[in-house]
Amino acid sequence: MAETLGRLRTALGDRGDYDAAAQCSRCGYCEQACPTYVATGREAQSPRGRAQIVRLMLEGKLDDPAAAEEALSTCLLCGACQTVCYAKVPVPDLALEGRRMLRGKPHWLVRRASRLLIEDPRRLAAFLKIGYFFKRLGLSWLSAPLLRLAGLPVLASMDEHVREAPRRLLDDELPALRAAGEGDAWLYFAPCGPRSLFPRVGAATWRALTALRGPGRFLDNACCGLLAHNYGELEDARTLARRNIERAEAAGEAEAVGDCSSCVAFLKTYPQMFLGDADAAWRERAERFAARVKDVVEVYGSCAAGLPAAASAGTVSYHDSCRALNGQGLRDEPRRAARAAAGGTFVEMPDADVCCGGAGAFAFTHEELSDEILRRKAGGAVSIGARTVLTSSTSCLIQLARGFRKYYPDATVLHLSEYVARALDGRRGA
Amino acid sequence: MAAPFSELERRVASGSLLTSAADLAVYSYDGALDRGRPEAVLIARSTEDVGAAISWCAARRVPFTARGAGTNLSGGCVPLRGGLVISLARLRRILSIDRDARVACVEPGVVNLELQKAAEPLGLFYAPDPASFRVSTIGGNAAENAGGPRCLKYGVTTNHVLAAEAVLPDGSLARFSLEDDGPELLSLLIGAEGTLGLLTKLWVRLTPLPEDVRTLLAGFPVLDAAVEAVSAVIAAGVLPRCLEAMDAATVASVEAGGGLGYLKDPAVLLIELDGPRADVEREAGIVESLCRGKGASAVRAARDPAERERLWEGRRGAYAALARLAPNVLVEDGVVPRDKLPEVVRRIQRIAAEHDVKAYLLFHAGDGNIHPNIAFDERDPEETARVKAAGRAMLQACVELGGSLSGEHGIGMDKRDAMAWLFTPETLSLFRRVKDALDPDHLANPGKIFPAPGGARPGPEFRRPAPAPPSAAAQYLVAAVRSAPPGVRFRIRGASTRWPDAAPDGAVELLTHGMDRILDLDRGNLTLTVEAGIPLRVLHDQLRGEKLHVRLPDAPGTLGGLLAARPWPGAREDLLGMRLLLSNGDVVELGGKVVKNVAGYDLSRLVLGSWGTLGLILDATYKLYAAPVAVPSSVPAVRPPAVWSPWARRVRRAFDPDGRLNPQLS
Repeated sequence: MAETLGRLRTALGDRGDYDAAAQCSRCGYCEQACPTYVATGREAQSPRGRAQIVRLMLEGKLDDPAAAEEALSTCLLCGACQTVCYAKVPVPDLALEGRRMLRGKPHWLVRRASRLLIEDPRRLAAFLKIGYFFKRLGLSWLSAPLLRLAGLPVLASMDEHVREAPRRLLDDELPALRAAGEGDAWLYFAPCGPRSLFPRVGAATWRALTALRGPGRFLDNACCGLLAHNYGELEDARTLARRNIERAEAAGEAEAVGDCSSCVAFLKTYPQMFLGDADAAWRERAERFAARVKDVVEVYGSCAAGLPAAASAGTVSYHDSCRALNGQGLRDEPRRAARAAAGGTFVEMPDADVCCGGAGAFAFTHEELSDEILRRKAGGAVSIGARTVLTSSTSCLIQLARGFRKYYPDATVLHLSEYVARALDGRRGA
Repeated sequence: MAAPFSELERRVASGSLLTSAADLAVYSYDGALDRGRPEAVLIARSTEDVGAAISWCAARRVPFTARGAGTNLSGGCVPLRGGLVISLARLRRILSIDRDARVACVEPGVVNLELQKAAEPLGLFYAPDPASFRVSTIGGNAAENAGGPRCLKYGVTTNHVLAAEAVLPDGSLARFSLEDDGPELLSLLIGAEGTLGLLTKLWVRLTPLPEDVRTLLAGFPVLDAAVEAVSAVIAAGVLPRCLEAMDAATVASVEAGGGLGYLKDPAVLLIELDGPRADVEREAGIVESLCRGKGASAVRAARDPAERERLWEGRRGAYAALARLAPNVLVEDGVVPRDKLPEVVRRIQRIAAEHDVKAYLLFHAGDGNIHPNIAFDERDPEETARVKAAGRAMLQACVELGGSLSGEHGIGMDKRDAMAWLFTPETLSLFRRVKDALDPDHLANPGKIFPAPGGARPGPEFRRPAPAPPSAAAQYLVAAVRSAPPGVRFRIRGASTRWPDAAPDGAVELLTHGMDRILDLDRGNLTLTVEAGIPLRVLHDQLRGEKLHVRLPDAPGTLGGLLAARPWPGAREDLLGMRLLLSNGDVVELGGKVVKNVAGYDLSRLVLGSWGTLGLILDATYKLYAAPVAVPSSVPAVRPPAVWSPWARRVRRAFDPDGRLNPQLS
């Protein structure tokens, strides 16, 4: 069994896994909020079912714990259940704890390789460039085994879904961006997605933040640790967290702004990884850090009144990243910004707040279920005739791009940063 | 997979039969505490799957239990004897909505909210609105005869189901409709908790959206004052769509989950009016002045739909909000005649103190339906035992005050033992015969509703309230049946308005015209118990003198004849209960004086249209109105059915095994 957190930070206070799971009274009010339950109608793929399965595992009452694997691995971790739950039962965290209980320790060689890559963004960048080079040559079959060997099977399977293969990563763009002037108005936390897969998003965020808040600077952060937290080893996630906390502490007092809602939501939960008695000092530092972290959509929301409208290109809509909506409670902020930047062309799409089925590695590990969820999502965009759908996290960008390619080629997905930057660029140009 | 289930697997959609340990574990519970592990779970993909599975179960004598969303609060979805759980969650298509006829045809797994969403753009809504409506299914709502806040004005689920297709326990598919001749079999299936078959398709009534809805919040210094205000509002002839009450503890727990803007008074009423704008305006004024007259410290109207929705979120989430206090919540569901609410609250508070538990009170006050909620942790066996004992004592108090065990949550396994407190052995025996007639091997949701042998008994001080004493005329008829030698047949005759035919040779005529008294006219509760031989016009005359109104035709003929022949389908809507004389001389009491009651099978409505073949109706209990209601002054002529369906025959044999009542109808 992999190491578990053991204690969770719940809406009702810090609780052991068992108490957190027992908080579910089985009322079932969460069911229709859960995309996998709606898709399958199976109790084991509902939040209530998952909470009960983890509880039974903790009680040692599940005859065959392996049977829990499907139920727990299919959880999108979208947290929509927690949003509707009165007791705020932390089902995503419980599902992760359950997965850790089921998971063995990885081979030391794999672990070492993945740590080397994740901990040093430059090494990862070099590695990815080789991979993207192969991909552009149509040689994905060469890069995938490399990624697997490096302990990144998630990225390897993701390869088949992703069309992006940028020549230059964000780190290559940064010198030019920084040259335009740096300041203390904000710290840019570059999540791995905008940094290594969608550098256009990272660059847009930088431009938009500069235009709205004045010059800031790059935090030169490490990976947030979400992948390690969800799929790897907790200790790796803690190592990354400590590094990021230290860098932020050394970089002054400014807000740390990130542009992948999944990562940002995770940064805000850093304290949960330090609930052990021995970790009290780090817990306090993590709490101070978490209080400084902002999702870039919050910044845009607070500046919405001053946002110009972008040049119109058909109906614009917004898809909630689960980790912005359910993870951080950001419903109105991104919409305010999207509405302002879209001028009169913004239309709310039905079920905008339902998970797209991307959910980190979910789309790659449970393709059929993810596809079912994705089809409904694309249907929502079709129903309002959306041409541009805005969102705020990397896995939504990947998943919606795939979904629109497949079910609704008329629409494009953009990060809210790209759209806001475009509107601001247009104003400067005018 | 155990061998027999692999056989079933071949007969249903591929991948739809689940048997993993995790799957079986999560289908062993519902929203209550009890557990029972199935041997397999079928996620039905079609009515054919359901039919194939039940036929297979019938052939193999494997028990089966239906499940919708699994939100039941009485253990109704728990497969007590193992066997197969049949999940209907994926049969979730809305098949059609006829806007003009105001009828929707749905599969059983359609979520209540989804139907609301589909009906709303057409200017319609589906009236039953249980607190779980965002997740619970129409099939589950029908199986439990679900209520909800709005049922004060619009009635419960049985008032909104027009027809249903069902797979019966032998695997056969049948369609039942309110338009069928003969006994109302549809009414029997609604609220039968899946013990008589599974509903696979439902035709439900939709209601036009009101022009205006207004929600008022009133705070009272004491709960009694709030209850008095409720009675005053109804007595004034105002019928709000909802009249909900909460005590201060409940309000505080709701507010802890997020500021919803409730008043902080010791008792809070949530009153919702709907209808044409001018009426709502006028009624809001009446409600406000009546509330102030009863001592309300504040009366406030929701300013906009968002505020209204917040208030309702708070009300619907009251049960779940208690989940923040402790892992489990026992939610009782007693119901009493409305004017007994203050008394039952005093008793409940005493019982809570005696058992050292804290009860949070939530009522559908207009209906006399009270939900004492107790938060606890099931992992503490001592606390759990205390909580369960307190819950039982609270139900006992409801029964003692002339109420019932369940207003809307059902009996399931949670309250099955309490059935013996509420019903006489004769009535329970009739329930059992009905079950045996439709499900002889007890395969459909076995172990539910009926008391387990040696089940919990009420305390020694328990006193069942005595029913109104029957009149001399009724006693005479009872004696006539009881003293008749075996083999004697009976012809029941009222005013001969609908069925003047002569009695068959040798049959003894049972004449009901002497039974013409009002046995109970309860102004506080607005109910009427009246003998069945009373001519409808006489009844209306007498009520006019009392300035009260009943929704029954003001037409020729007796009440009993109207019920037995059912020439007017509306007779079922406000029927609360009846006493029935069976051919073996037993007098059974069905339903009661409460407007919401889901304890046991709905046999009073089953009797409608049975033409005296199930029993002789001695008296019936109806809802009264303080304001005039529209009623027909004549009803169509009807004749007894020429053909009795096989299921009607079975039910008839359960009531009258020797065919002694109206034997010429066959």
